[in-house]
Amino acid sequence: MIFPKFFINKTRYGAVDNMLMSNQNYTYEMLRSELTWVVGEDYVKTDDSDKLGHSIDYYWVPELWHDRGQKGTVPDFIVHPGSAREVSEILKLANNYGIPVIPWGGGSGSQGGALPIYGGIIMDMKRMNKVLSIDPVSMTATVEVGINTQHLEWAVQKAGYSTMHFPASIACATLGGFIAHRGTGVLSTKYGKMEDMIMSMEVVTPTGEIINTLPVPRHASGPDLTQLFLGSEGTLGVVTKATMKIHPIPESRKFHAFLFKNMHEAMAAGAKIMTSRLHPCVIRLYDEPETAKLIKRVLGIDKQGAYLVFGFDGPEKMVDLEMEQASTIAMEQKPEDLGSEMGEAWWEHRYKFFYPPYMFQLPQAFGTLDTVATFSNIENVYWAMKNTVKENFPQATFIGHFSHWYEWGCMLYARFIIDNPPQDPHEAIALYNKIWDMAIRAAIKEGGVINEHHGVGLKLGRMMKDLYGPAFKILQDIKQVLDPNNIMNPGKMGFKGAR
Amino acid sequence: MNIDKYLDVIKACRFCFMCRHLAAVGNVTFKESDTPRGRALLLDKVRMDSKNMKNQDYIKTIYEAELSASCRYHCVNHYDEVGLILGARQDIVESGNAPQNIRTVADDLKKVEFTVEGTGDVLYYIDGYTKNHQPEIASAFLQLAGNCKTISGGDCGKALNVLGFAEDASIVNEKFKKAVKASCSSTLVTSCPASYDALKNDFPIDGINVMHSSEYLLSLGSINKPSKSINVYCIDSDYLKNYNNLTAPRELLKSAGYKLDMFGTNLEESYAAGEGAVIYDEICPELMKKLSDRVFELADNPEKDLIITFSPYTKFALKKSKPDFNAISIEEAILKAKGN
Repeated sequence: MIFPKFFINKTRYGAVDNMLMSNQNYTYEMLRSELTWVVGEDYVKTDDSDKLGHSIDYYWVPELWHDRGQKGTVPDFIVHPGSAREVSEILKLANNYGIPVIPWGGGSGSQGGALPIYGGIIMDMKRMNKVLSIDPVSMTATVEVGINTQHLEWAVQKAGYSTMHFPASIACATLGGFIAHRGTGVLSTKYGKMEDMIMSMEVVTPTGEIINTLPVPRHASGPDLTQLFLGSEGTLGVVTKATMKIHPIPESRKFHAFLFKNMHEAMAAGAKIMTSRLHPCVIRLYDEPETAKLIKRVLGIDKQGAYLVFGFDGPEKMVDLEMEQASTIAMEQKPEDLGSEMGEAWWEHRYKFFYPPYMFQLPQAFGTLDTVATFSNIENVYWAMKNTVKENFPQATFIGHFSHWYEWGCMLYARFIIDNPPQDPHEAIALYNKIWDMAIRAAIKEGGVINEHHGVGLKLGRMMKDLYGPAFKILQDIKQVLDPNNIMNPGKMGFKGAR
Repeated sequence: MNIDKYLDVIKACRFCFMCRHLAAVGNVTFKESDTPRGRALLLDKVRMDSKNMKNQDYIKTIYEAELSASCRYHCVNHYDEVGLILGARQDIVESGNAPQNIRTVADDLKKVEFTVEGTGDVLYYIDGYTKNHQPEIASAFLQLAGNCKTISGGDCGKALNVLGFAEDASIVNEKFKKAVKASCSSTLVTSCPASYDALKNDFPIDGINVMHSSEYLLSLGSINKPSKSINVYCIDSDYLKNYNNLTAPRELLKSAGYKLDMFGTNLEESYAAGEGAVIYDEICPELMKKLSDRVFELADNPEKDLIITFSPYTKFALKKSKPDFNAISIEEAILKAKGN
């Protein structure tokens, strides 16, 4: 009999260590029977194939662990609930047994947020994938959040609208995953991030109550519960349903690209476009190294400088007018005008960067040092991180682009790449973590906030105290009140582990 | 191991999620392992330690793949995940680990006896699904095409190949080739997309021009269009679209006056109910049912819409799950347009 990992855990010295509850084998079967009673036999999985699939997400550490032939931590059960009621029943069971529950959407998170680090129950939400209704008057769609976001966009487009949510992970992530991590898409500068797109949500709390947040996102009825659960990464409950904004398909969408002498001049242009209160749907600025590396590879532009593209959409007359205004602002810095063709090419190939072999892949070590800051601070954040990486880790390359722009600042999508990290997995991870520790702390010192849209997860949990200071206690207290038995995704977001 | 030839695919797919929306089986089982990423991960484990080849869960997962090739078609770099799975199945068979139900199906597929009948320059291959379950497809084709010889008597090797019995597939195909050569025809036509792919790509026959029935009917010239166009939904074939990028079915239907509406919500997903796995109804009947149910779910009006399936297998699978589903083949649609 092979005991599931949750019930019996071997210590590094080979002794059997009873983790959170009984190690008697029949207990496992008791729980399996109860889960089966709730969701049906088809929807409780314990096979090796699916356990392997749920032991690795898009976080580099489990990928490396697998690549080096190490055994990853797998869940004991994978369940696929079909309704909020079933989610509630599972959470009540988990409270009874004191077992961790880890919500899982598409599994494409880059922060290890959905990894079953203590075993337990993976609550895979993909079965809850229906578009429940579309309200053409208010222009909203109500959906079950296990839906794949490409499927959602296709369904909404068939009805004549768009979610305007076009992230690189559109094909792999679920709406729930985006809600859990405050995700974003390439058109965020006009249409907002997930926290701007969501109107209201149905949430099952850790103790199994099914609640609804207020139906509209703007009100003066106290602090907003929708925003509390958005970005909670499965630590405060399970989001099961959401109502989100949808949009008309714009009459026109146009792009234009420029090559600036350097990142600083390009940043000045981008910031002025935003502070002039124009409304681009996209601005994206690549620093000189990333222009030389990725823009050359994907778009074929082989020139030195910083590539910047912006786009506008809406009624054509307005698009043309805003495009003209933005171009005038850009030309103040005397960049090379790459024209609309090189802008349209970027839009057409926007996802190509993330497919192999364009995306970085093992044996390389790589990480996205996602930070967000005001225009006053963002270049300082960039240089602080870049200099930290350069001075302390000469084997690493640092590249970056600025992806999501606001009236007050923008997001820095900086990345470090090491072509040949140590072969020993422990050494490789230690080096990897050290880069994160130093680079992110340097960013925080300069007013950067870790993470604009990837989330915290396992990867950055240790930084939460640095980031929040004494305010982190408030988050910990909320977690304690909502989840007294600490069953929801323990050990993530800086919250305590399962012990 | 055969999977070693696909090391680039394993390395590219094992941590890549970019085609998961097109994982037809994954979309109905919701399992991570039923996606190209999931399968590449477990075959990476096999590559690292061949003992994993005996893992019954892994073997089951490999045989549950529907092989639609939507992922390969979609992928920017067209990594051959289908080739990887076929290589894995071959490894499973060669190592003696094929499950009993697979071996039983394979044994049946080895029993072939091809016979050629009729007269004419063109040889029409009637595949197993058409012959045994849907004679109306062959009948419609023969009415449209006129004088043709026919060849039938079993699968031409594709199904065995897809199950991983590569050697047996070659033996069966040699018998098929011999019968084709003996017919003295230079044009071989089939309505079965899997057979079309086999004869075009896996087992080409020297001097024989292989055509899909839609290509052949299109080559016969114009059809008198009805005065009023008929709206229909099309369910593409994995083999015609994703494997061979063949546009003839749509061109033929348009030339016959049909107005083609998009089935479901997009043109990328496979709605072929497991056609890529050729005999999916025999090896994974429950999954075939789930894939069919998803098709019914996505149909705009399943009670009324007219659906044209580009593969006899798909028509069979959908009708098996829902006998009153209004699906017809390309050949029947053309015959209908001609007023017969």
